[in-house]
Amino acid sequence: MISDGVITDSEVMRREAALDRQFLTVNDLAVAFPTEDGLVRAVDGVSLSLEKGKTLAIVGESGSGKSVTAQAIMGLVNRKAAKVTGEIWLDGQELVAMPDDDVQALRGDEMAMIFQDPMSSLHPFYRIGDQIVEAIRAHRSMGRSFARREALEMLRHVGIPAVERRIDAYPHQLSGGMRQRVMIAMALINSPDLLIADEPTTALDVTVQAQIMELIQSLQAEFGTTVILITHDLGIVADVADEVAVMYGGRIVELGPTRAIYDNPEMPYTLGLLSSIPRMDRDPNKRLDPIRGNPPSPIKLPKGCVFQPRCNYFERVPGGRCFTERPELLEAELDHSVRCHIPHEERQQIANDVLHALTGGPTPL
Amino acid sequence: MAAYLVRRVVGMVVLLFLLSVTVFVLFNLLPGDPARLTCGKACTPQIIEANRHRLGLDQPVLTQYTNFVKGIFFGRTFSEDSPEPIICHAPCLGYSYNRHQQVLAAIADAAPVTFWLAVGAFLIWIVVGISMGILAALNRGSWVDRTIMGISLIGYSMPSFFIGLLLIFFVIIRFNWLPFPSYVSPFDNPIQFLQTMILPWIVLAVLNAAFYMRLTRNQVLEVFGDDYIRTARAKGLPERVVVVKHALRAGLTPIVTAAGLDLAYLLGGAIISENIFNLPGLGSLAVGSVLNSDLPLITGITLVTATIIIFANLVVDLLYAVIDPRVRVG
Amino acid sequence: MVRSKAWLLRGFAVGVAFALTLAACGGGNAVSSQASGGASGAPKTGGTIYLLSLNQQWDQVDPQRIYTGEDLAFFGGTIQRSLTSYKYSADAKEGTSVTADLATDTGKPNATATEWSFTLRDGVTWQDGSPVTCEDVKYGVSRTFATDVINQGPTYQVAYLDIPSAKDGSSAYKGPYKKTGQDLYDKAVTCNGNTITFKLSKPVPDFNYTVTLGFSPVRKSDDTGESYGQPGHLVVSDGPYMVQSYSIGNGGKMVLVRNPKWNKASDPIRANYPDTWEVDFGIDPKVMDQRLIASAGKDNFAIQYGNIQPENLATIFTDPEHTTAQFTGRAVSGFDPYARYYWVNVNKVPDVNVRRAMWVALDRQAIRLNIGGAFAGNMADGVIKPNIGQDYASTGLLDGSLDWEAGTKVPDNGDPDLAKTLIAKSGKPAPTLTFNFANTPTNAKTAAIVKSSLEKAGFTIKVAPLEAGQYYSIVFDPKKSGEFGTAGWGADWPNASTVIPPLFTQKGGWDLSQLDDATLNQAVDAAQTDTDRADQSKKWQDLNKQVVENMWVLPTFFGLSQTLAGKKVGPIYRWPAYGSWPYGQMYTMP
Repeated sequence: MISDGVITDSEVMRREAALDRQFLTVNDLAVAFPTEDGLVRAVDGVSLSLEKGKTLAIVGESGSGKSVTAQAIMGLVNRKAAKVTGEIWLDGQELVAMPDDDVQALRGDEMAMIFQDPMSSLHPFYRIGDQIVEAIRAHRSMGRSFARREALEMLRHVGIPAVERRIDAYPHQLSGGMRQRVMIAMALINSPDLLIADEPTTALDVTVQAQIMELIQSLQAEFGTTVILITHDLGIVADVADEVAVMYGGRIVELGPTRAIYDNPEMPYTLGLLSSIPRMDRDPNKRLDPIRGNPPSPIKLPKGCVFQPRCNYFERVPGGRCFTERPELLEAELDHSVRCHIPHEERQQIANDVLHALTGGPTPL
Repeated sequence: MAAYLVRRVVGMVVLLFLLSVTVFVLFNLLPGDPARLTCGKACTPQIIEANRHRLGLDQPVLTQYTNFVKGIFFGRTFSEDSPEPIICHAPCLGYSYNRHQQVLAAIADAAPVTFWLAVGAFLIWIVVGISMGILAALNRGSWVDRTIMGISLIGYSMPSFFIGLLLIFFVIIRFNWLPFPSYVSPFDNPIQFLQTMILPWIVLAVLNAAFYMRLTRNQVLEVFGDDYIRTARAKGLPERVVVVKHALRAGLTPIVTAAGLDLAYLLGGAIISENIFNLPGLGSLAVGSVLNSDLPLITGITLVTATIIIFANLVVDLLYAVIDPRVRVG
Repeated sequence: MVRSKAWLLRGFAVGVAFALTLAACGGGNAVSSQASGGASGAPKTGGTIYLLSLNQQWDQVDPQRIYTGEDLAFFGGTIQRSLTSYKYSADAKEGTSVTADLATDTGKPNATATEWSFTLRDGVTWQDGSPVTCEDVKYGVSRTFATDVINQGPTYQVAYLDIPSAKDGSSAYKGPYKKTGQDLYDKAVTCNGNTITFKLSKPVPDFNYTVTLGFSPVRKSDDTGESYGQPGHLVVSDGPYMVQSYSIGNGGKMVLVRNPKWNKASDPIRANYPDTWEVDFGIDPKVMDQRLIASAGKDNFAIQYGNIQPENLATIFTDPEHTTAQFTGRAVSGFDPYARYYWVNVNKVPDVNVRRAMWVALDRQAIRLNIGGAFAGNMADGVIKPNIGQDYASTGLLDGSLDWEAGTKVPDNGDPDLAKTLIAKSGKPAPTLTFNFANTPTNAKTAAIVKSSLEKAGFTIKVAPLEAGQYYSIVFDPKKSGEFGTAGWGADWPNASTVIPPLFTQKGGWDLSQLDDATLNQAVDAAQTDTDRADQSKKWQDLNKQVVENMWVLPTFFGLSQTLAGKKVGPIYRWPAYGSWPYGQMYTMP
């Protein structure tokens, strides 16, 4: 067992090797919007990395900075309105300093994105086939009819029935699930290496949600796509993600393999998120336990630990450090980092107690 | 779509019918007596009665209305007692005793003037208003945006008669850059036509251009915040394509509606500009008819301009359906 | 002179400042009819004079239907001759005296003035060269009897000629189109060679003035009835010019060119200087003022039809009698033809003391200020205006010399206390009265002043604005009108026979006060038929005084108006005959 912040030499070597394999690496990413009320630090020092073909889930409440992080990676943050600093390495290329035109060339080709509301994300005035053809021809010089054939194929591939007819439909003529399938088809049409799915199921019916997640997974397996899944719902992550990053107040507060996050969560916020998932294995008589309070205002973040005002355990930290000092994101166990002043052992103890209280036993995956 | 069209056209005809009845009844209910007005001073009840008969006002409103409608389909004859009775062929909208002219002929004379006035001004304000609005939206918050919005505010707050008088005073009277406006058909004398129309076009365009700058800017900015614009960018489309094909296409759609109706409204006559620039269009014809209590002409103009506006509404709705597929089904 | 409905409409077309509103004025000095001296430069034969009109068309071009002073003057000076006309002169007396025109003299009455004869000059022709005959005059005069076709014109033909009335009171002769009663007309109007004789139903001592109005020839073969004179049916000229073209509406024009058949020897009145007259219609009044002020290019030869806008008066005039140096010889300020007053329905307000109290309480000073102050007119002391000539004499109303005024000069801003005293005399509480006016912004302000000043005397005033174009057609109906309201009247020729009878007898046609008093009717009749002109004047003056004694109408203002011309057109004066430009004498300058 390794104590806080102490890393052995062999571990360093192992990581450097891993780093070479990393497909996506984000270093100290910050996105700040100057507004009349002050500087909004939507993303503040996010670092993460992901191997090719893996799935990372970024979890957090709205306003936690997870979507902005994703948009920053895609280069969709308006540079006139926001200041983006740090580094984003995608397959060996740094994106933050890259000219807009070059990032644009990568968008939709190397990296693609699907969004929460497929209705509003598709242009209401254009046929879905044309919208996909447009995506093809933005990156590949291909005749219209060829592109259309390819679009047809992809639409079929994502499970849209009667594609010959549907390809000429307008978005409003399709159901929500179908629209999201169209979005997925459009995102994957140029075989991107990275797919960012921003709350892809939130706006859909519960029955459709599972289908869409399955579709994403199967396509990922098929194309070897690296996926970033952004969600506020830790519940859907377990079966899908290899790694989980929990964000709060523009920062990552806990980062680790999915298994570790579910079995041994350490950050009280992660604990709170887990407690509020309705689960089959949970004692139905136990009430759901949502995190008290509201997310912090991005303009007036607390001085110390950003989560402190909502934390049930800050009193365990001596000297009121939670009020005065921002905790660092430190590795608690192998590949499992936590941002919290509470000592590692004590955090484990708290997590055990809470999870036991919820289920009467350890959380199975 | 065909059923929709039929429904709309039938609705239009019904609306026009109701409108013609309303106009007829309303104008007949007005206080005052057109017969008394034709009779000048030294008017005896007998003369008034004779005039009422001559004007056809001695008949019940219903009869007057059916005569009017008959005139539209079969024509009618006025002043049957006179040495030269006036034969008004179908479609006959009536006869203006004040102008000694058939109502339809008076309107037909005035309509081209108003048409050119409206279309010219429309083109100017649409081009200037929309391009400035887009420019402002694309440079939101910059000095370009602030300058354009400042110009818009000035244009918006200047009454058109004031701009008109200012232009006449400086451009024509003071500096003699243009001759006095004197309308000719563009087919007869294109140069004089342009010399006459350019100032009224500007006057009419200023106010509307100012409005369309704002409208366009707001529309485009609103659309820029829409999800499908983000999708378009996420696809890796060049910014130019995002703006033109995706943002403007959606953002300008409501402007089509506004522009269509504004144009139709203008086609009914631009009273102030026509009067300041001495243009014989529908607006000045309407003013003249009201001042002279010329009931047949008032009725005719009201119906014709209402028809234009109702028709324009139909066109705008159809156009909207063409532009926005979501409207088509309903 | 003449207040026709057309005049009213023209006023409204201009907007608020004119017409009914225009009514008021006052204060200050009396104004001569000529404002300022002539321009430099000698009269030139040739060129074009432009008449800038804010209207979209002439009210009428038909010689039997024209009834607006300016229009009578324009057409009389150019294309339409009548049996007699007025002399061209700026002098009030000379300029309102009749002279022979088509006729060889100013007419020969019989001893009782019930029969008048006029002999046509030799050599007077239509524009095609054929002679103007006695029959043409007779036919022209007959047209007025077709009251349903030839309307809006003067109707003295119907009132004076010796033709019996039908049962309903209208003339038994129905005009040359229906020909009903044609024999009656043929008896009343006879041709003997070149001499036309009119038999009248009663003595008309000033019939030679009457014939200036509508007693013009029309050739039967030219007559198109209703449409005569309108575009497509151009009027046929017997004057020095003829109509080349006429189009109406904004941008419309009437162009007059020289009549090649006109015989100078047959026309001692018209000077005939310019080659062409061009009337430009639909000029915005503000634009018109600016053009005339700048007086560049063609506008050097332009004259104004209409009035100077109030906002420009201070640029052009120092006061109603003097122009600024820059506009010397280019602008005219003078009496317009109209006396303004408020009619009072004597059936609804029967008590004379109440009517007197109304006038006494009225703040005429504030009302005049509202309509333009000294430029709008002078305080009126009756309905006969000083520019009529000999029939005017001060009634004493403004001097406090009437009996009921008891020597107190009623101030221009009203005397509520005296008004209360008068109301007390009536023995009843002050009544509630409804005030009618044509609804314009200026009139609405005037109405507010009327209300507040009369209410100071104890009246309760309701204001009832009426649609401007419909005003007169409504207030003539006592069922629809209130107790009092705005009005104005101008004489048809320099004789109060064209003022008192129309305003205060039922037959007159402008009896807004609804008077129908047998004694009064008799007195009016006696004055009208008095062949002794001096004696007749005395009678009119007495009747005018009776008007203010009884306050059948409340006199307000004698209207003034101001007009402007370009730099190279003359002569610049107001022709007293019509309060107009002296068209027949006008010329351009090099």
